[in-house]
Amino acid sequence: MQGSVLACAVCAVLAAPTPQTGGPEFHPAVRLEGGGKPIELEAPGYASPCLFDVDGDGEQDLVVGQFRDGKMTVFRGLGEGKFGAGEWLEAGGDVAQVPGVW
Amino acid sequence: MDVNEDGRIDILSGSYSRKEKDMAGLFQVLWGTEDGGFAAPEPLCGTDGKPLIIAADDKHVTDKICTRPTAVDLDGDGDLDLVVGNFSGTFAVFEGQGEGKFASANTWLESDGNRIAVRSHGDPCFVDWDGDGDLDLVSGSAQGGVFLFRNEGSEAEPSFAHAETVLDVAEPRAGDTTFGAAHMKGPQHDTRVFVADVNGDGKFDLILGDAVRITYPAEGLDEDAAREQLGVWQKGLNELVAARVAAAAADKDSFDEKYADHWKLREKIIRSVSTGYVWVMLQK
Repeated sequence: MQGSVLACAVCAVLAAPTPQTGGPEFHPAVRLEGGGKPIELEAPGYASPCLFDVDGDGEQDLVVGQFRDGKMTVFRGLGEGKFGAGEWLEAGGDVAQVPGVW
Repeated sequence: MDVNEDGRIDILSGSYSRKEKDMAGLFQVLWGTEDGGFAAPEPLCGTDGKPLIIAADDKHVTDKICTRPTAVDLDGDGDLDLVVGNFSGTFAVFEGQGEGKFASANTWLESDGNRIAVRSHGDPCFVDWDGDGDLDLVSGSAQGGVFLFRNEGSEAEPSFAHAETVLDVAEPRAGDTTFGAAHMKGPQHDTRVFVADVNGDGKFDLILGDAVRITYPAEGLDEDAAREQLGVWQKGLNELVAARVAAAAADKDSFDEKYADHWKLREKIIRSVSTGYVWVMLQK
């Protein structure tokens, strides 16, 4: 019993996250805007963002996946960390919908 | 990421689960096309020609659902590998064999023989966090927050330590009577993290998505009235629950309709909105 309790305690120590030691520091979080408005997804949300140049214009665009219908919104990059209004990502001629998401 | 190395960006997405008897979150890929667009999603397959699925039996189904794949050259051999988060919070690895081909069987990211993990809903992203020349793992989680798993090995032989907290998990909701979203000062729950230089200053920043539920008083009520009525409603619910517990077994089903009617009353007191926000944390 004592041995198993000790093993559990060790596992708990290994599993519990510790505060980051050293490394980069960040400013407080700020909500990103698209087209001048804070970005809000369709219910129930579950925003999954990434940044890459979708349209090949040299500016990073913000692409945000969501739970509902597995759709993704593209916010065109305007430079300096600013983004335009969102449009659905299209694939194969239709609004892209990843199956098995919702 | 150019998954199949054809010079065009592709999009990788996880999924919760296909709607079949064998629950499994497939990895969906939208291949980049010649015109700069994307093809319709299709399951990413392994070298056996079958959709890639994280190995898990029925008792551990959470290991293979709610997937979040990312393509990264984990072992520095020049081929993209797949590292996949899941509902369990662990990280599966499918070794890449070049040109969009991946081994059909997965291994796991471990430390000292234990799978490294966030509490649930792992969300892997890779960056050289500490500038030592190898890739470290960063992840969100269902509870919120951002977690770092330092690579204590090398570029060719990565070895990830257990989690360090970069951003604490969100404060628990103070009940449905904390109205509006003004109290949300940072990412809430179900965080998804992406690392990139957002402001072009040469330093990587954090982009975070989340899921939030915001409550407001119902139309015609102010906050004080909504709180008061919600308190009365909650008391009624507690009485219903107690009555059901005390009821004979044969009578318990009769409470289903009473519960449903009671919950409809709640809609006249508060309304809820679910959404997802996107946040940026710029590096100092």
